[in-house]
Amino acid sequence: MYGLGWGSSRLKKADRGQIRIIEAFLAVLIIFSAFAVSADLTGSRSATKSESLASIGLHSLMKLDQDGRLGMYITDGDFTALREALDLILPAGICFNLTVYVTVYDEQMQRLNTDVITNGGFNSQEVAFVEYICASQSATLRCYVIHVNLGMAT
Amino acid sequence: MTKGKKKLRTSNSGQLLIVAALAIAILISSTTVYVYELSRETNSSNAASIADLILALKQNTRNTMISSLANVSNGGERAVLTANLNTLAQVVRSLTHFGTLVLDFATLNDSNYDSGIWLSWNTSDMGTSSTDANFTLRVYGEETTIAANYEINVTTKTTIAGFYVTLGGSEKLVNLTCSVFNEEKSALAKNITLLYQDSGSWVNVDSSNNLSVIDRGNGTYSISFTIQTTAAIIPVSAHTYDMRNIFVQANTTCSAA
Repeated sequence: MYGLGWGSSRLKKADRGQIRIIEAFLAVLIIFSAFAVSADLTGSRSATKSESLASIGLHSLMKLDQDGRLGMYITDGDFTALREALDLILPAGICFNLTVYVTVYDEQMQRLNTDVITNGGFNSQEVAFVEYICASQSATLRCYVIHVNLGMAT
Repeated sequence: MTKGKKKLRTSNSGQLLIVAALAIAILISSTTVYVYELSRETNSSNAASIADLILALKQNTRNTMISSLANVSNGGERAVLTANLNTLAQVVRSLTHFGTLVLDFATLNDSNYDSGIWLSWNTSDMGTSSTDANFTLRVYGEETTIAANYEINVTTKTTIAGFYVTLGGSEKLVNLTCSVFNEEKSALAKNITLLYQDSGSWVNVDSSNNLSVIDRGNGTYSISFTIQTTAAIIPVSAHTYDMRNIFVQANTTCSAA
């Protein structure tokens, strides 16, 4: 009986050890899951930010295109005026790189601007891309495709 | 007593374990719900992007209609509208950012419109240059297919009304009121050229006729000029270009006030 009692006490001690291991394992699991969840949240948030940046860019181009100014600047080759107008419309702190293409020979696209149309140092980690069709309002129709990369100024 | 305490502690530790498990479960489920809500927000912003894209393409369909009407009203062929819309549809197909985009159109044909174009310049006191077409834009995305139907109408209308006052002999002062409308809303004119008919031929009104044009700023222009004519009724014509370079002509006959 005495021997059995000593054995039972030893078993209890061993059980306690196992519980400690399980506790530690659970703690590690909780911490890691917290890390995983927060990483996922950060990703979702940056995707939303990128979407809103793209939306801002698209709306700015639409605003410029409403009275046909966007098409007029491109048709006239006045890329300086285009850069200044877009810089004025976009909220402060947003930088952009813009490229204008014209469709030639059915589906081939030819780049129109030789120099990069930008409003400053484009050095952002958060980049949104906007593709916009611009049809001119002039009596002779011209269709352009505009590619804009937008980022938050650093 | 000690045995009882120990027993209580043992039973308590079991309860504590259940409470802790419950707390962790609540924590996990609330985090899951939060992440789910956040992902729903991201999905709705994707939908908003497609809505923005449709708005942008609608804007460019309108630009194409304006360009076509400017061309046709200045002497171009009516077929220009269909040709221009085909060009736009082809460029739309080349966009790949949101998936495959297909733009279909049907120009309006009725008692007024022929191949989507209506030019009515001979009606008394009013002139209309208009274009109308129906569109279907289909967006074949990775997850969704969206179809948007819309109609675009671009209309430039001008109205003209007036009378004349005999100043003495054959000299007459003609007073006119000319109004310009874009899609039934007041709009500014880029240029208005006036002509009057004398002995069966149309004569341009210029500065030698003491021409005065007062811009009321709301698309209405008060015009006056003097002419030498013995006619009792003076036909007048206003040739107007709106700010979009769409041409419209309106005729009226002026009688003595």
